[in-house]
Amino acid sequence: MSVNLTAGAIEDLFNESPVINPVLQVMYIREYPPGKQGHTRYRLNLSDGVRSSSCFLLASQLNHLKEAELLAPNCVCMLKKTISSYLGHKRVLVVVDMDVLQTAADAGGNIGNPTQLIGQTTGQQEANPSTSSSDEIPGPSGYGTSGSCENSQMKSSPMKSSWKASPMKASGMMSSMKASGMPSPMKASPVKGSGIVSPMEASPVKGSGMPSPMKASPVKGSGMSFPMQASTSSSPSQRPTKLTPIYHLSPYLSNWTVRARVTNKSDIRNWSNSRGEGKVFNFEVLDESGEIRITAFNSEVDKFFSLVEQNKVYLISKGSLKVANKQYTSLKNDYEITLEANSCIVPCEDSQGVPTVHCDFVPISQLEGKDPEAIIDVIGVCEEAEDVSLITTKAGKQLTKRELVLSDSSGKMVMLTLWGDQAQKFNASCHPVVAVKGARLSTFGGRSLSAFFCSTVMVNPDIPEAFELRAWYNQVGHGLCSQSLTEVQFTSGEFRTNWKSLSDVKTEQLGHGEKADYFSCVATVVFARKENCLYRACPSESCNKKVQEQDDGRYHCDKCGKDYPDFKYRFMLSVNLADFGDNVWATCFQDTAETLLGLGADRLGRLKDTDEDAFNEVFQKVHFSKHIFRSRVKLETYNDECRVKVTVMEVLPVDHRQHSRRLLNSIRTLACGN
Amino acid sequence: MSTILDVPRPRINFSMLSRYISKPVCFVGRVEKVHPTGKTFTVADGEGQCVCVELNDPLEDELSGIVEVIGMVSNKGAIMATAFSMLRDEKGSVFDLELYNEAVKVIHDFPQHYPFDAAASG
Repeated sequence: MSVNLTAGAIEDLFNESPVINPVLQVMYIREYPPGKQGHTRYRLNLSDGVRSSSCFLLASQLNHLKEAELLAPNCVCMLKKTISSYLGHKRVLVVVDMDVLQTAADAGGNIGNPTQLIGQTTGQQEANPSTSSSDEIPGPSGYGTSGSCENSQMKSSPMKSSWKASPMKASGMMSSMKASGMPSPMKASPVKGSGIVSPMEASPVKGSGMPSPMKASPVKGSGMSFPMQASTSSSPSQRPTKLTPIYHLSPYLSNWTVRARVTNKSDIRNWSNSRGEGKVFNFEVLDESGEIRITAFNSEVDKFFSLVEQNKVYLISKGSLKVANKQYTSLKNDYEITLEANSCIVPCEDSQGVPTVHCDFVPISQLEGKDPEAIIDVIGVCEEAEDVSLITTKAGKQLTKRELVLSDSSGKMVMLTLWGDQAQKFNASCHPVVAVKGARLSTFGGRSLSAFFCSTVMVNPDIPEAFELRAWYNQVGHGLCSQSLTEVQFTSGEFRTNWKSLSDVKTEQLGHGEKADYFSCVATVVFARKENCLYRACPSESCNKKVQEQDDGRYHCDKCGKDYPDFKYRFMLSVNLADFGDNVWATCFQDTAETLLGLGADRLGRLKDTDEDAFNEVFQKVHFSKHIFRSRVKLETYNDECRVKVTVMEVLPVDHRQHSRRLLNSIRTLACGN
Repeated sequence: MSTILDVPRPRINFSMLSRYISKPVCFVGRVEKVHPTGKTFTVADGEGQCVCVELNDPLEDELSGIVEVIGMVSNKGAIMATAFSMLRDEKGSVFDLELYNEAVKVIHDFPQHYPFDAAASG
């Protein structure tokens, strides 16, 4: 055993003497009685070679150490960070950060001959406390059980009485905790069960207003029903309230007060189902240590909904804690709070130290990798917004919704749907920066986001990410044709366009896949073939089959199987399009050809028969005209020959500004790439 | 005056003026203020910076909107105009000065791709 334990560390830890990174050996590990929904925690008995104590709880984020068997009886570890906490009235140290220095195998057996640390009495208890039945730290419901640190002498009842008699009404501490001035502290603290505290060390803890001596008093073992005292609490000494950092909140804590800012407040939601009806709203709060979600039902909704305002700081106390339903929130907290009838929310003027809204923004390009149904925070510039629309759900309910497209500096875009009031109130002018906290990712159209009732939508928020995004957008983003993750057709906007240059058609082998490729390009008509640009088609509605001229001057259509006295001219125009990179032959059918040439098929047909000069003139005009061509390209096999065929789907006039912006962005992007 | 029109005159914006002192340039901007005498007026570029333009002969007509000024840059940072033209709004399309400014920046950032000088003399 080459590792030395920090002798005296156990005493120091429970003395609240400063001890840095003590090296301790694990005596045993117990599984904490699983709380609701199988929330497992581990309780450790650690020794410094001289004393040992089982009043250590492993923070759940370190559970993996135990489960991977890195942390096992006899292993040696170094505690890097602990937080003092209370289970009922018993003090425990929650190990938040630790390193395993030596595995159990390497360490061998017990180091030293530690004795159990309990109170002032020098440990002479059995070395193996595991036999003691009073091992178990009381579970959530177990305030009343003997939460004693293994001390076979101390059994519940005798201690109880002596304890209660002692002037150590530590519960007096409670009042010092609450700024809201809690009455009768006794009520608040569940002073039941055995505190194992020998009256000897009872610090003269009387009544209220003794926060400081509290801290100093040697808290040995268990049993002083001290109020929540986080050793890492940031509460400065001038504040009279004893605050609990959100990080410490757990169902096993009682009498906490949290000072936090509301980051996300939902609307009131009414429901009615077979069990009845009710209303609910929830909000999320944040302080320096973390975030947590708070829900209020029915009467609490009435009480608190108007009081709680987003971005304001409140002192919140007396809610019930339970394991969080991760389905509804993106917060990283195992628990959530439900407000009760006696819950108390008071605005707090002193918001020093409480951070403002904290969002974990995910770049849009990473949304594809996230699980669908995940709750995400996203920030982006609103490029386009559809108008508010009314849809009827399957249940027959009418909902207003509004779809926006957000783009961010990752170069991708995604559709965000707003509902109800949020949809109506949203002002999409001037490409606002939109931040959404707690949007739900869905697989609609690939990937898209929905701001449901728990999400908060902030327009042009006052946060650094918003400013960065605005700067990015002004310089680069506004012209960027980002690729959308949502493959839904928009009625307006540029988002379906896939801009390519003609050289890309060959280099990227467009159309070679199973499906046809669609792309848009800016190109110049270099040549338009006059010959065979028209064909005679069946005059009947929607049949465009080429007709054969009969001997009697009538025209026969194979598809209809009929003869017609007449035909209609239809376009099948071959054009050669060129840009800086390459040229391609493309076919324009009726509509596109008409747009390109500027006149209808039958008119051109007539000109062809009557006025040859005018006919030629039409083609002269189109030569070297520049347009936007939205085309379909596909590799087709015709009689053993493979050819890439390009069909023009739409001809549009060039929007020079948009084109310039695209070019500028491409230039900048290419420059950055190098 | 004809000589200046034979020589390459790079397009610049306000930030580039200092590099082209005593050289012929082409400056496009929006007319801000016209001096009562008509002999000088200020033009703002795509970034909003103003340049003073001085004319040999006073203006005869109203000048407004976007203008393109060709002239020499004086050592005080003004442009001694030899020629200018107003860009009229066509078919409802507005001249996007910010976009133009971006293009001017690109031209100057990548002179290897925009060898106007060589093209003009060669």
